[in-house]
Amino acid sequence: MTLYLPIAEMSVSVITFLALGATVGFLSGLFGVGGGFLLAPLLTFLGIPPGVAIATSTSHVVASSVSGAMTHHRRGNVDVKLGLVMLAGGLVGTYLGVNFVKILTARGLFELTVSLTYVIFLGTVGTIILFEGINASRKPRSPGGSSLRKPGQHSWIERLPFKMRFPRSKLYTSAVPPVVIGMFVGFISAMMGIGGGFVMIPALIYLLRVPTGLVIGTSLFQIVFVSATATVLHAVENKSVDIVLAVILIAGGVLGAQFGTMAGEKLRGEHLRVLLGALILLVAARMAFDLAVRPSDLYSLALVPGAP
Amino acid sequence: MMHIRMLNRLCAAIVLMFAIAGGAAAADRPKEGVEADASTRQVAITSSFTGTEILVFGTVENSVQPSPEAGTYDIIIVVEGMPGPVVVREKSRVAGIWINTSSLMFASVPSYYAIASTRPIDEIADKALLDANQIGFDHVRMAHARDADVDAATVRSFKDALIRLKEAQGVYVRRDFGVTFIGRSLFRATISLPPNVPVGPLTARVYLFKEGKLLGQYQSRVMLQREGIERFIHNFAISQPLAYGLVTVLLAAAAGLTAAFAFRKPA
Repeated sequence: MTLYLPIAEMSVSVITFLALGATVGFLSGLFGVGGGFLLAPLLTFLGIPPGVAIATSTSHVVASSVSGAMTHHRRGNVDVKLGLVMLAGGLVGTYLGVNFVKILTARGLFELTVSLTYVIFLGTVGTIILFEGINASRKPRSPGGSSLRKPGQHSWIERLPFKMRFPRSKLYTSAVPPVVIGMFVGFISAMMGIGGGFVMIPALIYLLRVPTGLVIGTSLFQIVFVSATATVLHAVENKSVDIVLAVILIAGGVLGAQFGTMAGEKLRGEHLRVLLGALILLVAARMAFDLAVRPSDLYSLALVPGAP
Repeated sequence: MMHIRMLNRLCAAIVLMFAIAGGAAAADRPKEGVEADASTRQVAITSSFTGTEILVFGTVENSVQPSPEAGTYDIIIVVEGMPGPVVVREKSRVAGIWINTSSLMFASVPSYYAIASTRPIDEIADKALLDANQIGFDHVRMAHARDADVDAATVRSFKDALIRLKEAQGVYVRRDFGVTFIGRSLFRATISLPPNVPVGPLTARVYLFKEGKLLGQYQSRVMLQREGIERFIHNFAISQPLAYGLVTVLLAAAAGLTAAFAFRKPA
């Protein structure tokens, strides 16, 4: 069964994209990530124009993160105040990101920038997760958890102005770092079509030293709103959100995610991290390969933005 | 247009009557002309659109062709989409990676161009005639926007790339023997519209040639437009992008919450 996509202006196989949504959903449920970093490149690989792939992928992130955010909120695992402060920066970052996409597209540099960003981010994060996972799985499991919160570190962050109290996280810190982190995540989220959890979570843990129990919930809280904003802004600024494609992907994605979550509960966290790290590195390597290898045709066509 | 055509026919009829009245086979035979039409005037792009074919058919008036295979006449059929600007970019290697380094903008390029003919077009007519009528990929006027600092060879290579890429996308189609005569005067050709055909009105032009001379031409329009839900969604996305974006987000959020609720673990 094929369907004509109104914005991508092409006819696609529904089964293929349902399966893609389900696979990405399964992996995101398995690893507890948004899956945007897999979805956007795979959509492009299947012939969806990059702009449409990124914009539509952000709507998929909304669907895949909203239920997690709700669950964490119900259990009290969200620092709403911190989330809102980050969101303030996040909205600005998203706006900048969407407009940056517009500028890059007009200059013909969009695909290159996105690929480079993917290679750098995914390469770094994938390597960290992979090695951290390998180390953790080698070590015998020790009770008491990790020593992530080391008091005394990052004294320069504590010296920043605009101190705020975040009672939920038991933090008294400057509002500047959360706003900047939010802004940065919003920016890359809009540009790469991802949720940005893989940047947000380490930042919350290592920079802000948010208690681990609140990290995922607060990150998801912010991601829901940032990706929702990114979707709307992409629709307004770039007219690149394909609602039909989004529905197909989300239908597959939400189902896949449920099964992924079930499968994830059967695996050890360290093993999951090794697998996730390897997967992220694979995507990064693939994109690096595409950048380095001589393209089959050196020329490419682009429509002029704004032209009918 | 209509009046002129009727007038033409009337003239032809009068000429014919005089010829008959004159009795003898007059030295000045009635002039040949061409009339044509497309099988479909309206092509609807719906959610099930996977490309389609249109049949362009026509007749040579006052044909002197003894048989369909005689090859007295040559027909060229051009189906063209709306012209628009296109940027062609060229990659080159910078610091180990391939980057778009140069580009050329063509101000007006047909979004779709299908050409079918009784034989290769350069055998049918000379370059000047093809250029004048914009028949064939190489003869369509594609003016590039910035003309100051690019030499002819560069423009040529960008234009070649443009045609090659459009052909690869399936929106520039050439069929050298795509037009067939099925009678002394009746001819036909099928023109395929791929699934990615740019939406917009199409112009069908039919040219009649004999021994390298253009004897007549005929023009017709084919509407290509979105219909039904496809049209609704597209209009919605373009005219009310904010509401469209919000609806997409709400759908996504609703789907996520519904799935989480449906699969919620008991207790």
